[in-house]
Amino acid sequence: MAEDGNRDAPAAGLGALWGALRALLPRTKEELRLDLGESVERSVVLLLQQAADLFYGGRRSECLQTSEVVLDYSWEKLNTGLWQDVDKDWRRVYAFGCLLKAVCLCEAPGDATTVAAALRVCDMGLLMGAAIFDDILIKVAAVLQAHLLPGKRPAHIPAPEQPCLKKARNSHVSIPDLRSERAVPRLRCPSLQHFRKHHLVPQTPVILEGVADHWPCMKKWSLEYIQEVAGCRTVPVEVGSRYTDEEWSQRLMTVSEFIDSYVLNEPRDVGYLAQHQLFDQIPELKQDISIPDYCCLGDGEEEEITINAWFGPPGTVSPLHQDPQQNFLAQVLGRKYIRLYSPQESEAVYPHDTHLLHNTSQVDVENPDLERFPGFAEAPFLSCILCPGELLFIPAKHWHYVRALDLSFSVSFWWS
Amino acid sequence: MAEERPGSWFGFGFCGFGQALGSGRGRQVLSPEPLRVPDAGTDICDIGSLSAAWSYTAIVSSAGRLLLSGSARGAADGCRDAWASETLRAVLRDGPGGPGPGAELQAWAPGAALRGEPLWARPAGPEEAGREDDGAACETRAGPLPLLPGARAHLSPRPPLCRPLCPALRARRLALGAEHALLLDAAGQVLSWGGGRHGQLGHGTLEAEPAPRLLEALQGLRVAAVAAGGWHSVCVGAPALKEDGAGLKGPAGPEDAAAAPFIAVQPFPALLDLPLGADAAAASCGSRHTAVVTRTGELYTWGWGKYGQLGHGDTASRDRPRRVQCFVREQLRVTAVSCGPWNTYVRAVEPGRS
Repeated sequence: MAEDGNRDAPAAGLGALWGALRALLPRTKEELRLDLGESVERSVVLLLQQAADLFYGGRRSECLQTSEVVLDYSWEKLNTGLWQDVDKDWRRVYAFGCLLKAVCLCEAPGDATTVAAALRVCDMGLLMGAAIFDDILIKVAAVLQAHLLPGKRPAHIPAPEQPCLKKARNSHVSIPDLRSERAVPRLRCPSLQHFRKHHLVPQTPVILEGVADHWPCMKKWSLEYIQEVAGCRTVPVEVGSRYTDEEWSQRLMTVSEFIDSYVLNEPRDVGYLAQHQLFDQIPELKQDISIPDYCCLGDGEEEEITINAWFGPPGTVSPLHQDPQQNFLAQVLGRKYIRLYSPQESEAVYPHDTHLLHNTSQVDVENPDLERFPGFAEAPFLSCILCPGELLFIPAKHWHYVRALDLSFSVSFWWS
Repeated sequence: MAEERPGSWFGFGFCGFGQALGSGRGRQVLSPEPLRVPDAGTDICDIGSLSAAWSYTAIVSSAGRLLLSGSARGAADGCRDAWASETLRAVLRDGPGGPGPGAELQAWAPGAALRGEPLWARPAGPEEAGREDDGAACETRAGPLPLLPGARAHLSPRPPLCRPLCPALRARRLALGAEHALLLDAAGQVLSWGGGRHGQLGHGTLEAEPAPRLLEALQGLRVAAVAAGGWHSVCVGAPALKEDGAGLKGPAGPEDAAAAPFIAVQPFPALLDLPLGADAAAASCGSRHTAVVTRTGELYTWGWGKYGQLGHGDTASRDRPRRVQCFVREQLRVTAVSCGPWNTYVRAVEPGRS
C-alpha cells in the first residue's frame, strides 16, 4: 500500500485500503454468487442477490443494512441444533454477510476503530462461517490487519513487559512434586516404526524430545510477538476456573484484550484462549509450527488434522477428560503439569452421566473428593511436567488433566 | 396513528420484504402503525387470523379471504386459517360446500402463490368444538394451527411436515420454536420436547427430550396459553388458581440482552412479574422477543429489539417487560398479539367495544 507522501495520511491510507479490499472481490456482481443448496430458503437467496446488487451499485449504506439482515438471519440458523448439524451453506451465507459488511465498513473515511470493527466482522466470519470465494475472508483480514498495524495500535496496549511477566505470576501456582508419581516415558527422536510399535499400536503415552524443539515458534514466540501478529484479531476465550463450573462462560475478544485482561495486570478471573484453531485464522502463525511426521502413521489426510492453540496465564486447568482422536501436544511457552489415565480406568474417573459431559470426569484431579469418588485414589496414572520443545503423545480416549504452571502456549494436533 | 377503528390491527418490526406492516415502506417500523395490506376490497379490521413468517405474512379475514404479503404474494378465498413459516405455508380451506365438513388442510411451498397444486392436502378431520375463551376474550390465534384439527398431528417447518401426536395427550395448543415444541393440554398442563441446550424446555437441564415431557415445575398451575420463541418459552397461567394473580411464567431460555457479554440460561420456568402487578392474558413470541397482552388491555414487550419489534420507537433490546406506550396514549385496548420472528402484530379496540 504505497503512501504517496501526502500528509493527509488517514484519508489516503483508507483510499488505498478500500482499493486493496475492492481488488480482492470479483469484478462483477455475477461472480459474487454463492452456490447454495436447498436448505437456504428462497427469500434468503433473494436477499443475497440484493446485497450484491447494492454493493456493485455503490449503495454502501443500503448494502450494509441488507448484509445486517443476512447476518442476523443466518446467525439464527447457526444457533439452531447442534453445531455439527448446522448446514454448511448457512455458514457460507453468514460468511458472505461478514464479507460485505467488513468491506462496506471500510469504504467511507474512518479511523483505526472502523478498521478494527471491520476486522472483528471478518473474524466472526472466520470463526462461525465457512470458507467462501477461495478463503476471501482470510485475505480481507490480512489486508485489514496490515492496515492497522504500522503505528496504529490502539493506545491501551502496554509496552512489552516480558521479563517481569516470566517470574511474577508463579507465586500462587503450586508446582507438583512428581517424585511419588509414575512418569510418562521419554524418547528422543524415535523412528516412525519404533513409535508405532511401542506407543501408537499399544496406545501408551510418551514424550518425544528433539522432535519439535527446532520449530520456529520455539524461538520466535513471546507475548510481544503474539501481540504483534495476532493482537487485533478476535478469538474465543473461556472465562472461569474450569469448564465444568457453573460460572464458566465463553466470550469473544481480541488477543490484545485477552492479554490485558487475563494475562497481564493481575487478573481477577481465569481466562484461557483454549481449543481455538488460531492457525486457520492467522496463517502467518502456521508458518512457525509443523505437523509432526508421526501423524502420517494415521489413516486420515493431513488436511483433516485439527490444530488448536492453547494460550493462557499460569493456573489454567483443563479438567480430566478424553478426546476421540490421537493427540500430539506440543509445548511452546511455559510448562504444564499433565496427568494421564488409561481408558481402562474410565470407571475410576467417574465420568458425568449427561450427554453433554460424558467425556469429562467429575473428579477434581489435584483435590479429589474421595468420599464421592473412592475408586479414584487407587487408579493408576502417568504424569509429567511438559516443557517447551517437548511433544506429548496422548493416545485416543486417554483421560488427561492439564494445569499450566507458567504463562503457557501449547499447540495440539488431533489426528486419526 | 391516523385512523382508529374498532378492532384495528397494528404492526411493528421487520418488514424488509415489504410485508404488510404499517406503511410497508422501508425495512423496519419502530412504533405501532396501522396495518395496511395492499389488496383493495378487504376490510382488514376484520382479521380472523394472522400468521407471520420471517419474510411474509399470511392474513385471513373473517370472511375467509387469505392475503399474503412480503416475499410471497397472492390471495385466495374460502380459507379459515393459515400458518406461515419460511419453508412451508399451511392453509385450512373450506370444502366445496362452504364452511363445515369437507374442510381441507393444504400445504404449499413457500414460493407458490396459492395457484396450481399444493404440496399436499388432507381432510381437516373433526373440528375442535368452538374456541376457548379466557374470560376477558383475549386470544392469540383464532385457530389451533400448527396443531391440526383433531389434535392428532401437527405441522412442522422441517420434514416430516406433518407429525403425529399421541391422542392421549389431549393437545389443545401447540407452539413451535426453532428446535423445541410446547404443548398445552386440556387439563392446562404443559409438555415440552425437542432441543434443550438453551434451557427452553423448562425441565431444569440442558438435555434434549425426544418425546413430550410434562413440565413438572408448573404442575398444579392451570396454564391458559403457551408461546414459543426461537429458543425460549412462555406460559400464561389462569389467574383463577393463582393466589397473587400474576399469571405469567417464563421465559425459560435466553434473552438477548444487548449489554451482557454472554447469554444467560434459565432452564426452569421463572415467574415473571409485569410492572404495576399487571395480569397477563395472552402471549406471543418472536424468535428472540416476547409480547404479552394484559387483562386490562395493555401490551408489554421485551427481548431483542434491533428491528423495532418491541414497538418502543427505537431499536434497543430490553431484558425487562416494558409497556408499549403508544396504545396507552391513543387510549386503545389491546386484545390480541401475534409475533412473527422479527415483528409483532397487535389487535386493539377502542374501549367499550370488543
